[in-house]
Amino acid sequence: MTDSSSLMVDLARLDFSWISTMHILYPPLTIGLASFLLFSEWRWLKTNSEEWYRLTRFFEKLFVINFGAGVATGVTMEMAFGILFGPFSQAAGPFFGNILGYETITAFMYEAGFIGLMIFGWGKISKRMHLFATFNVAFSSMLSAMWILVANSWMQSPTGVHLERGLFLVDDWTKAIFNPNFMTGFPHMLIAAFEIGLFFVAGISAWMILKNRHPQLFLRSLTAAMLALVIVAPLQVWMGDELGRTVAAHDPAALAAMEGHWHTYNADGSPNTSWNLIAWPNEAKGTNDFQIGIPHVLSLLEDHQWESVVPGLDQVKPEDRPPVLAPFYAFRIMVAAGGILMLVALWAGWLKWRGEFSVAGLQRRPWFMRAVIFSAILPYVAIWTGWWTREIARQPWIVHGLMRTSEGVSQMSIGAEIAWFIGFVVFDLLVWIGAWYFFAKVVRKGPDLESPVVDGDNPELGLGELPDATAAEGRPLFVRPTA
Amino acid sequence: MEHIMTITHGYQWLTVIWWLLIGLFVVLYIILDGADLGSGVFSLFHADHEERGAIMASMAGTWDANETWLVVAGGAIFGTFPLAYGSLFHYLMIPLMVTLWGIILRAVSLEFHHHADRSKSFWGWGFGVGSLVTTFSAGVSLGAFLQGFSMSNGEVPTFNGGALDFLTPFSLWTGVTASIAASLAGGVYLRARFDRDSEIYAKALGWTNWMFFLGLIAIVSTVLWTAWQFPWARARWFGEYMWAYGLAGAVVLGATWEMRRASREQRDVSAMLWLGTIVFINFGTMMATLYPWFVPGTLTIYDAANPSNSLSAFSYAMLGFVPVMLSYNFYQAWVFRARLHKLAGYAAH
Ligand code: HDD
Ligand code: HEM
Ligand code: HEM
Repeated sequence: MTDSSSLMVDLARLDFSWISTMHILYPPLTIGLASFLLFSEWRWLKTNSEEWYRLTRFFEKLFVINFGAGVATGVTMEMAFGILFGPFSQAAGPFFGNILGYETITAFMYEAGFIGLMIFGWGKISKRMHLFATFNVAFSSMLSAMWILVANSWMQSPTGVHLERGLFLVDDWTKAIFNPNFMTGFPHMLIAAFEIGLFFVAGISAWMILKNRHPQLFLRSLTAAMLALVIVAPLQVWMGDELGRTVAAHDPAALAAMEGHWHTYNADGSPNTSWNLIAWPNEAKGTNDFQIGIPHVLSLLEDHQWESVVPGLDQVKPEDRPPVLAPFYAFRIMVAAGGILMLVALWAGWLKWRGEFSVAGLQRRPWFMRAVIFSAILPYVAIWTGWWTREIARQPWIVHGLMRTSEGVSQMSIGAEIAWFIGFVVFDLLVWIGAWYFFAKVVRKGPDLESPVVDGDNPELGLGELPDATAAEGRPLFVRPTA
Repeated sequence: MEHIMTITHGYQWLTVIWWLLIGLFVVLYIILDGADLGSGVFSLFHADHEERGAIMASMAGTWDANETWLVVAGGAIFGTFPLAYGSLFHYLMIPLMVTLWGIILRAVSLEFHHHADRSKSFWGWGFGVGSLVTTFSAGVSLGAFLQGFSMSNGEVPTFNGGALDFLTPFSLWTGVTASIAASLAGGVYLRARFDRDSEIYAKALGWTNWMFFLGLIAIVSTVLWTAWQFPWARARWFGEYMWAYGLAGAVVLGATWEMRRASREQRDVSAMLWLGTIVFINFGTMMATLYPWFVPGTLTIYDAANPSNSLSAFSYAMLGFVPVMLSYNFYQAWVFRARLHKLAGYAAH
């Protein structure tokens, strides 16, 4: 199509990666935490235990901060495709644009229609209606992730379309939507969202117990989260392996880059199955300057076989090779994070099994508690590095094998691109710092144990009305804005 | 643009339906978020610390849903008019970028203000400034949109102008007009949301009076400027269907009169509804003037449309959702209908 200066292309990539990196901090937690809130609110309705109510209200405050940040950074994303990658948006529009359109209509608007009820509806709508609102928020946020992953995984394995006069026309919607990468990429993402939500809850609960603040209350959330993680964390490692095998099958160049795997065969002609623990790739020479490899592990991972041929980068034309350094290390960091998280979850399961999951038992194990607190950071690390791996290892393609990133980029002035970058660095950092600052503040303040438990159905009270304005007639005092 | 037209033959009625629906999403955004943005602008000039908090609390349950109409409009354009999405948004890069900064600032200010102690006044200002920036730059984008832009004639035509093409006296003026119109909507909204004996109510009364007259001047001059500058608008307005446009103008004038009356008689909710009606009719008239252009003088809705198989897939999947979407949003707004007073923002602590 058009030729583009490589600086312009690189800047557009940088601009896009910055905003997506700053957006992905929030949605997974929205999904995971909404699911946890659904669970705890349901426990409250079911058991009528006030503790679940208090926990729900407490974690909901954190949810709201996170949600606001997600919206603030997300609106940018919706516009950014057209601004930064106009030709790509036009060409891929018939499929990709449709999918994002589906998303806004079936997920964002759906979510936005219930989020206000969930956060501010306490006491204004019945308890069951409120639970229904929470359910809708949790469900719609998962739908949103699903559509986004459909769009993104189609860029990785574009099936069901053909190119005609510069446009991707859809031949088979089912094939395009349920493309191979989606089938493993979406579950992996969804589990990542649960994992981040659960470790977030667990980390904060552990901190509270360690500080001896409402330990009985937070023991409940800690136990629930850690028990769920005993299943979720290993599941994620398994799903990650499945995703790796999908990548190996549909984008061998990306896999080879992630593994720093240059040579398909060893010098003696046998398949090179060595898996590199660490390496220093040299892209100009087409090999690693330095590496520590373990034979057979690579073919075991990708094929589940002792010795099979895994195509290396030497099978890919130099101009079609992705960068190696970033995917290689980003991938290793994610895998390490996944492994550590799994060990922490299993540790918790073991303690529970031994019957040590009590306030006294846990407070006697500060190192376990510290490990849980530290683990709240790791899912963030894993999600960042996972996405960087994915997006960078797809290069130089924007739609794998069909359209190059340089063909998809808008012809922009360097100045405009730099202005974009600086502006979004400033605003997105403002969001990020603000979000963490207020997380910390809410956590330090702790849960509100005083205000009366809501009851539902008090439509006479307006949002934010001062309680004493209407309390005279003996109406409850609880209707207050919570966020 | 021949070749693309051949792909998009047929399904023309679907194209028109989606174009109308996107118009509906945009006008809903303007009406709903316009009021929120306008009260942000009001808070910059007229509110003290506590009142700003109360204004923010008044929209706490609904601002996100209101803003999401913009996202829905963007998503639907991408889904149904990808050729327009990829070129128009590129053309509008700078004003959209600034709009996005404003939206980010406003969104986080709304969330963080509540939790802040020392930084409360910072987020209060962030809310106001974010609202003003969003309104102004969105208005500039609208004006720039009406100007059209230049396209390459490759196989898939793309925007090939410069980053500053959007910037003209006309687009700046539409930015000003949008800010004034939103300020009016904000005042009207605040009067419907706050107790009649509260101070905000009284201040909003004076504010709406001013903004009403400023708004009248701004809008009439924008209409005249449009007629003077754009041949496609002139041709429509003074062409075969002149009577229809005349009628629409008369209806708008009548509605304006009614709004004024409702406003003077303190029937605040009616005033808000009349204002909504005015915006709606104005926007509808604008779309009637534009047809068949998607971007005037640049892309028709048929050029910009999605190749037909995608468009029908989109339609089958999505058309049913639109009424559902409208109804649960209405329900949410209904739950939060009660009036407030000044200290609302602080009741939370
Ligand atoms: C809590 C988060 C988390 C954790 C613990 C893991 N991952 Fe992951 N991973 C993601 C979060 C994530 C992600 C950010 O959600 C990605 C990016 C896109 C996607 O679908 O999932 C991802 C992508 C991703 C990819 C795709 C790269 C590509 O498409 O090019 C592979 C092969 C793996 N992961 C493999 C693993 C393995 C083997 C893990 C465990 C040992 C693992 N992940 C843990
Ligand atoms: C939210 C998590 C995401 C992160 C952290 C992320 C990160 C990145 C990064 C680092 C790049 C630059 C890659 C490079 O040029 O080397 C990039 C590019 C891109 N990403 Fe993502 N991405 C994310 C999600 C998505 C999703 C969900 C989509 C599609 C629906 C998407 C579409 C794109 C496009 C179109 C580009 C530009 C073209 C390219 O460079 O290949 N991204 N992203
Ligand atoms: C894996 C990547 C992504 C996932 C899982 C995801 C999911 C979500 C979810 C669940 C929300 C709800 C708000 C929140 O969570 O705080 C959200 C917000 C948003 N996201 Fe993303 N998103 C991703 C990447 C993207 C991309 C690439 C786009 C661009 C099309 C995008 C556009 C938006 C928009 C516009 C919002 C705000 C919606 C609103 O106003 O409610 N997101 N995202």
